[in-house]
Parts: sequence; C-alpha cells; structure tokens
Amino acid sequence: MSRFEAKKPSLCKSEPLTSERVRATLSVLKGIVTSCYGPLGRLKQLHNSLGGSVCTTSQSSALLANLSVTHPILKILTTSMQNHVSCFSDCGLFTAILCCNLIENAQRIGLTPSTVIKLNKHLLRLCISYLKSEACGCRIPVDFSSTQILLCLVRSILTSKPASMLTRKEIDHISTLILRAFLLTIPENTEDHIILGESIIVPLKGQRVIDSTVLPGILIEMSEVQLMKGLPVKKSDSLKVALFCASLSGDLSDTGEGTVVVSYGVSLENAVLDQLLNLGRQLVSDHVDLVMCQKVIHPSLKQFLSMHRVIAVDRVGVALMEPLSKVTGSQPIGSLGSISPSSYGSVKDLCTAKFGFKHFFHLIPNEATVCSLLLCNRNDTAWDELKLTCQTALHVLQLTLKEPCVLLGGGCTETHLAAYIRHKTCNEPESILKDEGCNQTELHLITEAFCSALESLAASLEHDGGEILTDMKYGHFWSLQADSPSIVNWPDLLSRCGCGLYNSQEELSWSFLRSTCHPFAPQTCLPHEAAGSANYLTLDCFTAKLNGLQVAVETANLILDLSYVIEDKN
Amino acid sequence: MVMACRVMNERRHMGLQQLASFAETGRTFLGPVKSSKFIIDEERHESVLISSTVRLLESLDLTSAVGQLLSEAVQAQNNTYRTGTNTLLFLVGAWSSAAEECLHLGVPISLIVSVMSEGLDSCIEEVVSLQVPVYNVFDHMDNTKTFSGFETFSVSLGPFHQIPSDAGLIQKKHNLKDVASQSLTIYNLSGRPVKSPKLFRHQAKVEVDKDTSQTPQTLKNSLLADTCCRKSILIHSRHFNRTDNNQQMSKPDGFLEQHGAATPTTYRCNDLVELEMGLSHGDHSSMKLVDDAIRLQYQNASMQQGNRTMPFMFDISRIFTYCLPGLPEAFSCVCPGYITVTSISSTTLIKELQNQPVRVVLIEGDLTENYRHLGFNKSANIKTVLENTKVQQDSSEELWITHVLQVLSKFNVNLVLAQGNVSDHLIEKCIHSKRLVIGSVNGNVMQAFAEASGAVQVAYVTQVNENCVGNGVHVTFWGSIPLDVVDMVDRMTIMLNTEGINLVTVVLTSPVTAHMQAKEDRFWTCAYRLYYALKEQKVFLGGGAVEFLCLSHLQILAEQSLNKRNQVCSGWLRNTSSWLASSLALYRPTVLKCLASGWHRYLSTLIYNTASYSSEFEASTFIQHHLRNAVDSGSPSSYILNEYSKLNSGIFNSGISNKLEQIARVYDIVTPKIEAWRRALDLVLLVLQTDSEIITGLGHTQINSQVSEGFLFL
Repeated sequence: MSRFEAKKPSLCKSEPLTSERVRATLSVLKGIVTSCYGPLGRLKQLHNSLGGSVCTTSQSSALLANLSVTHPILKILTTSMQNHVSCFSDCGLFTAILCCNLIENAQRIGLTPSTVIKLNKHLLRLCISYLKSEACGCRIPVDFSSTQILLCLVRSILTSKPASMLTRKEIDHISTLILRAFLLTIPENTEDHIILGESIIVPLKGQRVIDSTVLPGILIEMSEVQLMKGLPVKKSDSLKVALFCASLSGDLSDTGEGTVVVSYGVSLENAVLDQLLNLGRQLVSDHVDLVMCQKVIHPSLKQFLSMHRVIAVDRVGVALMEPLSKVTGSQPIGSLGSISPSSYGSVKDLCTAKFGFKHFFHLIPNEATVCSLLLCNRNDTAWDELKLTCQTALHVLQLTLKEPCVLLGGGCTETHLAAYIRHKTCNEPESILKDEGCNQTELHLITEAFCSALESLAASLEHDGGEILTDMKYGHFWSLQADSPSIVNWPDLLSRCGCGLYNSQEELSWSFLRSTCHPFAPQTCLPHEAAGSANYLTLDCFTAKLNGLQVAVETANLILDLSYVIEDKN
Repeated sequence: MVMACRVMNERRHMGLQQLASFAETGRTFLGPVKSSKFIIDEERHESVLISSTVRLLESLDLTSAVGQLLSEAVQAQNNTYRTGTNTLLFLVGAWSSAAEECLHLGVPISLIVSVMSEGLDSCIEEVVSLQVPVYNVFDHMDNTKTFSGFETFSVSLGPFHQIPSDAGLIQKKHNLKDVASQSLTIYNLSGRPVKSPKLFRHQAKVEVDKDTSQTPQTLKNSLLADTCCRKSILIHSRHFNRTDNNQQMSKPDGFLEQHGAATPTTYRCNDLVELEMGLSHGDHSSMKLVDDAIRLQYQNASMQQGNRTMPFMFDISRIFTYCLPGLPEAFSCVCPGYITVTSISSTTLIKELQNQPVRVVLIEGDLTENYRHLGFNKSANIKTVLENTKVQQDSSEELWITHVLQVLSKFNVNLVLAQGNVSDHLIEKCIHSKRLVIGSVNGNVMQAFAEASGAVQVAYVTQVNENCVGNGVHVTFWGSIPLDVVDMVDRMTIMLNTEGINLVTVVLTSPVTAHMQAKEDRFWTCAYRLYYALKEQKVFLGGGAVEFLCLSHLQILAEQSLNKRNQVCSGWLRNTSSWLASSLALYRPTVLKCLASGWHRYLSTLIYNTASYSSEFEASTFIQHHLRNAVDSGSPSSYILNEYSKLNSGIFNSGISNKLEQIARVYDIVTPKIEAWRRALDLVLLVLQTDSEIITGLGHTQINSQVSEGFLFL
C-alpha cells in the first residue's frame, strides 16, 4: 500500500537580513574569522566532540572546510570564501572579514541596497585601479634576481599561521626550504611559456621541524624488506622505467553482476598470474630496469622481476602518478596486455635515503622540475597546519611569478587604501556623483562605511587590546598599547609600522584609526630604496589580495541585494 | 548538520585547567621511583597495573579536545623516541599552571607565547654546556668489566659470574654443537646484591659514621633507618644517589655538595658500563639486560667482520623481547637467536631436529589456504562446479596442504617461519612429516633470519624455489629454565639460532603477571636511552642537572630584564611591529618567572618522589637554596659542574672501592629530552592560544542536553 502525502508549501521569508537570527549567526561567524586573523590570531579547535581527531587551526581553508552552516545567507558567504581560497590559497580570512564588515556597515547606514551596491562597486573599481596603477603607494615590485622580497613574503605567510608552532629559527629554515622548493620547480630552459613543475610534500611526522629538507626528484616510501633487496647496478647512464596505473595484484578485474561459473580444476587466479608473468617476461625482454605501480604488484611477479634484476616498486599511490609520469616521460600503463614501447620512460638514477625511521626510494630524474619537500613537525595537528601553510606559500610564489609584485602587509595596505579612497571621494566627488546618480550625503556615508570596513579589518590584527593608529603621511598601520600616556611619547612607544617599512622616528603625526580625521592624501609613490632596504618586511600576495577584495565586495553586494529566501520544505 | 562554537577563553582558561588536571594523574611517574597505579574498569571489572604515562593515557578516557591533543603529543613523543613521555606529561601540567598564572597577572596571551617560547629556546641553548661527549665506548668492550660489576659493590660479593648461593639462581652455560660456543653462552642475571641485608647494614653504617662527623642532628637517627629502607633500591638513582641523600640528611643544604674542593673537570664518557650506569636511572635489572644484549651484538659483529672496518652500531631493531610471566625476575636473561613457544606436541620433532642444521622458509603473510596478499580483492561471485561425476574427496584445504607439504619436502625444508597466522591443520600435518611451522613471528626476526640464513621472504609457498630457502638454522629446547618451575601446561620454549645471526632475544620474566607489561616497557626505555646516547654520541649530565640549569638560567634572565628595562629585546616577538614589542620588557620577567616555576615544580616533585624529603615543600626549599647559590655564583653551569666534581671526590673515597666514584655520574639523553620539553610547551601554548572550540556535526538537542551554556550556534 502506498501512501501519499500532500506537498508542503514553500517557505518564503522577506528581507532576510533584518532577521535577528541571521544577524546573530553572522556576528558569530564574524567573531570566529576575526579572532583568527593575523600572526597573533587565536586558534580554534575543530572536533566532533565524539573523540574524533582534533584540528587546531586559524587558517581559513581548514576552518571553512570544517564549518557546516545552515542559513542560506551564511552559505553564500562561506561558499564564495571557499572558492576564493581554492583558487588563490591566501587571503581567505581577509575576504571573509571584509565581507562581514561591509554587510554590517551597510545595514547600519540604512540606505537602499541598490544605492549601496552601486557605490560599493564604484569604490571597488577605484581601489583596483589604484592598486594596479604605477602610482600605488602600497605595492612593491618583485625582483627575482634577489631572494629578499620573496623570503619576506614566505616568512609573512608562515608567521601569520601561529598554529604551526614554529619558532623564529624554524620559520627561517622553512621559508628557505619553501623558496628553494619553488625555485626547483622552474624549468631551466625557458621557451615561450614556462610550465612549472611540482613540489611534493612528503610527511615525516614526529621529527624536529629543523630536520625538514628539500630534495630534487621524487621520494617514494618503502619497506625495510625492500631495502634489503638492494639496488641493481646501473647498466647505462639512465634507467628504463615502466609505470603502471593498473593493479598488478592478480585479482580478477570487475566481473560484473551475476555469477561466473568455473568448472572444477580451472583456477582463474592462476590464469591471471600467468598473464602477469607474461607481462613480466615482456618487461624483462624490453630491458626495463624499474617497474612502478600505483597499486599492488603480485608477490610472484615481484619475485620474478627481482630475479631478473628489475626493481619493482608498488603502492606508489595516485598522488604521485602524475609527477612520476611527468619526470620519467612514461605513459601510465592501464592494461595487462602487451605494452607499447612508447610507454616507457627513463630516470637518471635511483638511490635510497633514510629520514627519521622511514626509508625512501629517491628517484632522480633527467630534467628535474619536480622536487620533494620533506616536512617534519612535532605533532599531527601542527603538521597538518604547517602542510597547509607550505602549500599556500608555494601557491603564492607561483602567483607572484605571474604578477611580479607584492602588497605591503601588516594592515598597512588596508589603512593606506582607506585613506586614499576617502581623499579621492572627498576631493573629486563630481565624476562619481554624475556617473552613479546619487547625492553628496549618500556618497559620504557609503564611502565612510566602505573605508571603515577596510580599517576595522586592519584593526582585527590586534587581539590583545591595543590601540590602532594611522599616520597622516603614508596612511600606514601602527599599533599602540592601550591607555598610553601623552602623544608626545608616541614616537618612542611606536617602533615600526605594520609592514615594517617606516619607523616612528621620522617626524610623523598620528591619529586613532576610528576617530574621524580629515581626509588626507597618503603619499603615493614608495621611496625607491624601500624595496631594497628593509630586511623584515611583512608582505602579502598581490593577486590573492586583489581577488579577495573583489570577492568580498561582490559577495557583500549579493547578500545585501537579497530580498527573499525561499525554502523548499519537502 | 549544525555547528556549535564554544568560547573558552575568559580569565580562567578551561583548556589549560584541563591540561593541568590530566597531567596531575601522572605526577608520580616522574623520577626513578615510580608508584604504579591500578586502573579499574567498573563495568567490566577489569583492572590494569600501569606505571608509565603512555599506558596511563591508553587507559584514560580522553575524548575532550584537549585530552585528544595531549594524548596525540604523548603518542608522538613515544613513537619517535620511546622515552621522555613522563617528563612531557609533567611539564605540560607545570607549564599549563604557569601560563594560567600569567593570565591571572594580566599578561597578554601573545606575549606569554613569545616569551615562553623564546625562554625555552634560550634554555635549550644554555644546556649545551652540560653535554658530555660519548665516544669510543666500544674500545674497552673486551675487558672483564661488566655492568654488574657496579651492582656488586660490597667487597664481600664477587663479580657477576660467581653467584652467591643464597640467591638460588641457576648459572648454566649452554653449549650447542656445530655452533660457535661463544655466541651461544646463555647469560643469566646475577642476583641483586643490593637487596641483601648485609650490604644494607654496611651502607647504613657508613652513613651513620659520616653523619656524626658532620653537624649532629637530633632527628637524624630516627629518620635514617626509614630513609634507608625507602630508598634501598635507589642507590644509583639518577636523581640523587646515596651520597647526596646522605648529605641531605645531615645538612639541609647539601644538594650535590660534598666536602673536599675540586675544580670542575671536563666530562667525557668513553666507557660503556659507566654510560649504562648513568642512563639506567635506577633501573639496574633492565639496564643489565640491555648491557648483555649489546655485548652479544658486539661479539657477533666482531665475529662477522673479522678485522672490523665499520664501526659497531647498536642495532635496536634486532633486539626482541619475549615475556614469560609467572617466573621469578631472576630468570630474565639474554640469548642470541630467537626464543619462542611451541606446542608440547612437537617435542619429539624438536628432539629429532636439534642435532642437525635445518633448512628454513620464511613466509611474509599468513600460512593458510585462504590468505591472499595485501591488495588482492577476492571476487565473490565465482562458483566452481563439478563437470563430471568423478567424486572428489579432498577438500580444497587438504589439497592445499598436500601441495605445501610437497613443496617443503621437495626443497627439504624442515622449518617454516610465518609472520602471520598458520593453519592449525597444517601445523599438525607438518609435525607428522617432521617439519616445524611457527607463526606470528615478528618482522625484524624474519629479517634477521633472512640475512643470516640466506632465505628470501615470500608471500606464498608456491613461490618457494632453491634461492628462497635458507640454511643452517638450529632448533633446540630452551632449557635454562627448569620445567617444573614453569607453569606451562602444553607449551614449551624453544630456541632457533643460526651462525652469525644478528638477533638477540631478551627473555623477561616476572612472578606477577600484571607487572609483565611494565617490565617490558622499562626494558625498552633503557634500551632506547642507550640507543640514543650512542647514536647522538652525547649525553647530558643527569640527575636534574639540566633542569636545574634551566631554572637558574631563567632566573638570571628574569633578573636581568628587571634591571635593564629598556633593553631591546624585540627579537623575542614574532611580530615586531606590534605594540607588544615595546611592552615586552614590562612583562618579560613575570613570564620568565612563571616558566621557571615549571622547572621548579619539576625538580621538587622529582626530589620528593625519590623519597629524600617528606614533603614537596621541603624539597622546594632545598632547591630554592641551591638556586640562590647558583644565581649568585654568576655562572650556573660552572656551579653545577663544580658540584658534580665535588661529588666524585666525595664520600666513597674512603670507603669501598675506587671504581665507585663513577656511580655518581648520572646521564640523560639529549634530543629526546629536549624534544619532550618542546612538545610540552608547544601543547600548552597551542591550548593557550585557542579561544574557542568548534563542534561540528552535532544536533541542537545533543548539545542542549549537555551544558547548553556558553554555546553559540551557526
């Protein structure tokens, strides 16, 4: 007997942003992302409270992957953050906080969403064209002939992830390794376009961070039994390689549904094994030196191969297949039939290496653009965080190679940009007013909302109750102890600005970030020596931040534009 | 899916408090005297006896996030170094309290993190001065001095091989034919003369004499007997050996101090026994076994290499422990080769096999009909049918067994070692055809047999060919334990050996079955300590010396930064541009003092645990006193070295033997110890910086039913 149930009507809510619950959840989310921001950010323990693994993190990618939100508005927000992070790795928290700030500020001023959206878009265009212009005062060109700027960039990324628990020395060590790993992925002979190689992160948990290292080529973990069998003598100056993606374990490939009926005395297993051994014979007669298989190789085949002085490496794993195929120039073989000679590739050498308690095959390719970053950290939580951080840093370096410039970090870009926008809309409002068809008050309110969203984003870097200042010359970010004595002492109390470019001794005047000050034109052109002088600049990835800015404004606009949420309750 | 978020960081930090209370459970494990604990499962009425952090955490319910992180940290330390977990757990507790204290005093979290982290770094740099290089320890291996030589430190007791009759031990040398007799000596543990009452009296007398020559004290005599008994097994404790205990009795300020001035000497260690002694940390019986094991390995290596070109390396992977519960401790011993049990039904078989070298096959996995190698997926939908009516009597297992037996007889194999399980039916059949099959053999053991006998490990019997078969294995009864002592109904112990095999079995016995696990753990702890000392070729001066140096170093740093407020120390902060950099000087002394208080607690608990003081408070005063001296001396490390050398020229000179001065040296391993510190602080700082827990995948109701207070929902 079947039962029918009447369909429930869809639920329609108007003006979702005005609901108290939405505001409350948005502010919880904002609280989470804001408290994680920056090198002094607080960490979050993510777990299921049932004894599952605990992830301690302050990174957007780890946070967003684990957050499960219910409300559609929050889903819009987290999804666009995730998309940003998956494309650019960095600046996820930046984007999320800015987006929340923009929504909050827009709600506070109470103008119609369409006006807000229109002007937000305009201000965004202003920001982007400024950041891309030659006159931009918070952008530094990257000189690839020296490592200084690149090291600063990597170090800034490592410093901003406190949950990887690195000491200063360890940060320096890992920064150098990441940079070296990145440089190893750049091909030596460049023609029209460069195809970057890959850095493979090899886990070595439990060891000291300082034991981490980078090797050109690929490391494949192996058992001690395999180590015992030893390596054959090289016959020529390279080793011939066959790479299998098909399983060579000797089980029957999928027999489909139904039953296979076999008469007594026939062994399918033996039949498959015979086929495998035939394959082995072909490999031997083709003078293959090294057989690698993504999955398992049947012990009998292994034995056969090793009797003929062919090294067999199995259970390589899917992650290594692409780099292996790339460095050896071999085609992964997917069947047990006969092998076309063109599938074979070659490597320069193969040796063994031991790190910690683990043994590895070390594959040295002829032309290496693949390297292995052997990453150590003391415990699992910190290792996972460090791995994510390294991936981010490597990605950021790639992005920087495409667009060779970096932005000043430590909050300076944000405060500088806010000062620029304020000054711009205050001094040249005519074109905007004409283009967007709004009045002076609206423009002023929305500019204020936009700029204070940027400024409070910068202020989120502070977690210990300090005050944030900005100087009236460069518009940079300065932090000051709360309840500090008179202004006279400020040059002594402030040491350097957030990015580390300027110090407090150069006749600057400051004001509190949140106080209303007169718009001023921040000095745009960077002092030429800036790029070379400071050793410890805090820097951000240009491409990632620019995209983050766009995503944040556009997502905020999208959310502000929502007038109905319609839920299907069936 | 609903996600909840709990903010945990207000003035009192829940995470830190949890850490501190978890760590409190392991307080008694610190130091050489460990009080065991019973953990009782009320539901199942089971209980376990534990005496180490790792076992403790295994038995505790640590489902909270902080508990998970703690057990993760302890596991990581244990998996990497096998030692240092007790230190780790204690310091986690001590530093959690220290960090919480800083929070109470209003120090910003980021500053606590920076200063503590840099403070520990600074300590780690400082303690390098207490490193003792270890080299050429194997140069003196051939002389007669063995580990037990130190144990028997009463003159009346002979060297190790002459066992006093009252110990009731069997000293048997077991020689086998066809095998070099040297490598087959069975080493029995000597008695524990330390426990002998005569010796005790002798020692006590020395102490009394000393005491009276010093400042007389009224309480002394009544306390003396008590203390002596309590610390009877602690004579060579790494922490405070008899000498200074004695001094502490007579002079409250007698830390490592002795009369007779001596200049600090440069320490180095080139004697294996001295090193083992120093690393035994009071657990002589275990270290004795380690010593025997390493000597066997050394002999074996020298025999194999003839004129040695390669330096000898202690290979810990070729040591294997075998536990025999129910026997007195004295039966623990070390033998070359592999010792295991087998069913009594193979007695006749072994009798027949024992006079000849046998051929061996090594099987990597299970030895059953159904076993397939890892990664092989069996198809479920294959059905075998009989086509003609010919009656087939044998089951497929019988066919398989027949086949296995054929292969074994074809290659004349009489011994099969399998890493996995073995079909019972096959074992039985093999016994009939005079072949011995042993299952569940450890991987390293297989490896050792592969190397020594020339066998190649295979997954299936069908793979066996002439090249895979090993030669020259000897099977014998392992007879050094009288059978009537052993309560083994249908099992017996056998020994497998082959010439030149690099494998040592350590047989561990304990009359109390519940102690077996702890005994095995203790053996491995000693073995790994020695392993790391030899591997790193350096050790620390032990007995709390490094921790004491850390304490006084931090004290000095704190006082310095108090005096020079304005000194530039911004390098101590990760983010130099923050205001925290400029207020660092203000908070630094506070945080450093809190960090130092962790060391202080560590040391006082250590001393209290070694039973020299009746309260932690007394122990604490004692440390305070020395701390003052060390700090005032200007160079704590030379103060400590100085105290150490005084110790050596101290009380034992007039006494028993010159050799004994070396007893004073207590050593600690370097990297595992430092890593334990780092891990402990990392964990505390990780938890300190955490401000909220995000709980994923829980319904509202589940959380509501718990304490719903303090949850925010997304």
